[in-house]
Amino acid sequence: MKNKPTKTGYFSKGFFSKNSLTAFCFLIVPLAVYTIFVIYPILQAVWFSMFKWNGLGPMNNFIGVDNFFKIFSDPVFRIAIGNNFKIVFLSLFFQLPLALFIALIIARKFRGAVVYRAIFFLPYILSEVIAGVLWSFIYNPQYGIQNTALTDIIPFLADFPFLSSPSTVFYSIFFVMIWKYFGLHMVLYIAGLQNIPQEIEEAARLDGVNWWQMNRYIILPLLKPTIYLSVFFSIVGSFQTFDIVWAMGKGEPVHAAETMVTYMYKFGFQRFQLGYGSAVAIVIFIITLGVGMFYQKITASKDI
Amino acid sequence: MRIQIGEKRAVVTFKYFLITVFAILTLLPIILVVVGGFKTLAQLRLDLFGIPNPVMWSNYLDIIDPNSSMFFLNLLNSCLVMLMTVVLGLILSSLAGFALSRIQFKGKELVFTFFLIGLLFPPAVAILPLYIELKTLNLLNNYLGVVLPQVAFALPFQIMLTRSFFNHIPIELEESAYLDNCSPFGFLIHIVMPLSKPILTTVAMLAMVTSWNNYFLPLLVFNDEKLFTLPMGVMSFQGQYLNDWSLVLAFISLAMIPAIIFYLIAQKYIIDGLTGGAVKQ
Amino acid sequence: MKKILFMTLLALLLVSTGSCTKKESDGVTISFWHLDTADEFKATWQKKADAFMKLNPHVKIEITILENEAFKQKIATMMQSGNPPDLFRSWGGGVMNMYAESGLLRDITKDLKKDGFIDTIAEGPLGVYSYKGKVYGMPYTMGAVGLWYNKKMFKDNGIEPFQTWDDLIAGCKKLKAAGITPIALGGNDKWPGHFWWVYLAVRTGGKDAFDKAYGRSGSFSDQPFVEAGRLLKQLVEIEPFQKGFLGATYTDQSTLVANGKAAMELMGQWAPSVQAQNTDDKKGLGDDLGFMPFPAVSGGAGKITDAMGGGDGFAVGKNAPDETIEFLKFLMSGDNYKDLMNSPISILPTVKGAEKYITDPQEKAVAEMTAKAEYYQLYYDQYLPPAVGEVVKDATQGLFAGTKTPEEAAAMIEKAMQEEN
Repeated sequence: MKNKPTKTGYFSKGFFSKNSLTAFCFLIVPLAVYTIFVIYPILQAVWFSMFKWNGLGPMNNFIGVDNFFKIFSDPVFRIAIGNNFKIVFLSLFFQLPLALFIALIIARKFRGAVVYRAIFFLPYILSEVIAGVLWSFIYNPQYGIQNTALTDIIPFLADFPFLSSPSTVFYSIFFVMIWKYFGLHMVLYIAGLQNIPQEIEEAARLDGVNWWQMNRYIILPLLKPTIYLSVFFSIVGSFQTFDIVWAMGKGEPVHAAETMVTYMYKFGFQRFQLGYGSAVAIVIFIITLGVGMFYQKITASKDI
Repeated sequence: MRIQIGEKRAVVTFKYFLITVFAILTLLPIILVVVGGFKTLAQLRLDLFGIPNPVMWSNYLDIIDPNSSMFFLNLLNSCLVMLMTVVLGLILSSLAGFALSRIQFKGKELVFTFFLIGLLFPPAVAILPLYIELKTLNLLNNYLGVVLPQVAFALPFQIMLTRSFFNHIPIELEESAYLDNCSPFGFLIHIVMPLSKPILTTVAMLAMVTSWNNYFLPLLVFNDEKLFTLPMGVMSFQGQYLNDWSLVLAFISLAMIPAIIFYLIAQKYIIDGLTGGAVKQ
Repeated sequence: MKKILFMTLLALLLVSTGSCTKKESDGVTISFWHLDTADEFKATWQKKADAFMKLNPHVKIEITILENEAFKQKIATMMQSGNPPDLFRSWGGGVMNMYAESGLLRDITKDLKKDGFIDTIAEGPLGVYSYKGKVYGMPYTMGAVGLWYNKKMFKDNGIEPFQTWDDLIAGCKKLKAAGITPIALGGNDKWPGHFWWVYLAVRTGGKDAFDKAYGRSGSFSDQPFVEAGRLLKQLVEIEPFQKGFLGATYTDQSTLVANGKAAMELMGQWAPSVQAQNTDDKKGLGDDLGFMPFPAVSGGAGKITDAMGGGDGFAVGKNAPDETIEFLKFLMSGDNYKDLMNSPISILPTVKGAEKYITDPQEKAVAEMTAKAEYYQLYYDQYLPPAVGEVVKDATQGLFAGTKTPEEAAAMIEKAMQEEN
């Protein structure tokens, strides 16, 4: 991405002013749409964040950074931010390894790989809202799996509260997130694996390495760029989790499954604290940016 | 298909067993829901895994019936919004990606960075100011009120993709186009875009999935039930028939079908599209 | 170059087409928002709107229906954008006051006084839809919350309607022992749960404690409010609710009671009609459904006759055309109102003299209780400023989940109240 083969293209010949004009013609509409619908509202959010404002009347109660102090002193926000980081870490330790494991199995010479790939990827194309409603049904104590003979085989299922207990709701939703997103990471890995030349593997196999050695010492290092990328997607996606939590009980009970974005929506917009909500938005942005930059730094230092 | 050298039969069988179990677990919730839609409420409550008896075609028929549900309207709206988002996104990201890749001008890097900043903002951050803005622009209750912000928020990533792909188009092609008196725009249309099908597929697929699944923005923009998209339809139908799960299941099954059919037909493009952008840079 | 310009124009054109939305014409359009999603309820409002449009051909009424939670979400955003619908469902009280304060509602006092219409509406309910002496909306029903119970289950287990909180606890234990879920609760929706705590506070502290806390000469962490939490905790500890109640919605709650899967629910005057909607035959429990006031608390300052409740009504948005008020009057008078009362929507009249149309004995009981209450408390989540109301619901949910002590819950509410002032 960083290479620029066309330092001077043919369209850069001629007069400088003409090039600028050409560029202007190409860029004006995209720039306008982007500025009007992304940049301008975000700048406004920054401005709102410095007021105590219910979003209705005039915005005249300037309080500077007070909103930001309030955010970090709110125990509910601490739950929310904790949940976001939990999503990141649990994804790293469960979802991505699972995706990688399956990708390693079906990427090569596996009869029916296409079918399996299609099945695993299927949940990803369903919308979060549909996935949420679907799983609310599966978890529903009156209709779902609790109400079946499965509880005889797996006894703990019978009383497992899923979405209705603060201690289990987050993990129940996270399970759905694995179900929904691991397919995406799996196809990323498969694509990455297919870019690794067959010959390397064949050669290694002739040298007598076993499955574990092959994957650990030969394939994984070659797959690094893909893994870094998948982790990055996972992190950025985790910080923006909203729909799926919203469709499965709105982060309740007692805010146990709240994420930063559901928190922002609830405490900012629904409770008529617009200034506060905007401040939360800014905090989300700063955290995403910070973690993203930190991540780039460590991956860059680890010689890709 | 030959068995891999050095792999024992048992290992292969175990792999198949494992993968098949995973596959069943992945599909099971979807199957339960689709089949559940054919059951009576009473059977649904007692017999989750059973075969529908009697088969309640009426659950599905009620939903298809335009007099009793908005399903087809929801579907149409989702399609329209998606189509507009994809087309507009392709046009704008090609234009901008081209300018930022092939044309030299002062401030080029600055403009590119300006676009890249957008990658860092979750759309939710701007949702309220955006809402107020859409209202002033009179775009509420209007497809464009959803389409334009969707396009705008997708632009940074799309431009990143198109620009990096366009960078790799050989300079010789540009040379010959230039000698043929072809304008930059003509070059983009006649040469660059046809050569960039893979990346444009990616852009289109990403835009499609995002638009199709978007719930938050349409929820704010559309008040009129006649404009509701499928995810909104699902939520409002569920709110309305909360006590009748078999109808809700039928509704979400039908809501899944268009996406699944399209997925089965265009699987290659979807998966290549989604991974292409990421892996092949 | 020309091509570029053409392309730009094309893109711009693309941007501007698709503005395929409606409107124009010289008639008047009224946007009317309600949240009655059940088919028969929906039809009732639609019929009335159609009738009005027939009488006034230049008026077009556009109805938007959203499910309760989605409605609350959506209306908040509409308000924040300064763009209220012309006529919309409102519960009056603190939330409506905030809208009125911000100039988002239309003052309809004059329009109602003009022809003496205002005198046909009962003062109490109208007061809930007034702020600083000005009327901004109108209630079409006003009632009280109480315990709706399954008479047969009570009788089979030898349980009499409760007089005191201790009776209720004992009754729940008895039902539980008989393998019956004593109480259904939609814990995820929060507001059904907050009824329990608020009612306890009404009983422990009475009008005095609330007025002091609300007027800021007292506090929400005063003893009666902590006591309310303590009593609630006592109930929660015997686990009288259905399995998974913290994840359940109000519809789940209603469905359980309506189908004889739970013995009672604490709910407002609309409970019978919602229960009916949630059974297959659309009849509900029928004669087996009983109503009793919330039990008294020994040593509490409140009486068993004090009531907590509220109404359903419509508020008028700031840009509403005059026809909106005509429509409101149309709904609230003569045969139209009688029709509403006879519809599947349970309505306790707010129009003077309409009590005689009540036929259902349960509805009569609620109406009497509402009329006789010396202290009538509007639901906290509507009466208090929205940010505080939400905290009340959070705190109560914490009590139900066992994650908050009674003291912590009271302190949370007090803190939110302080921040508001």
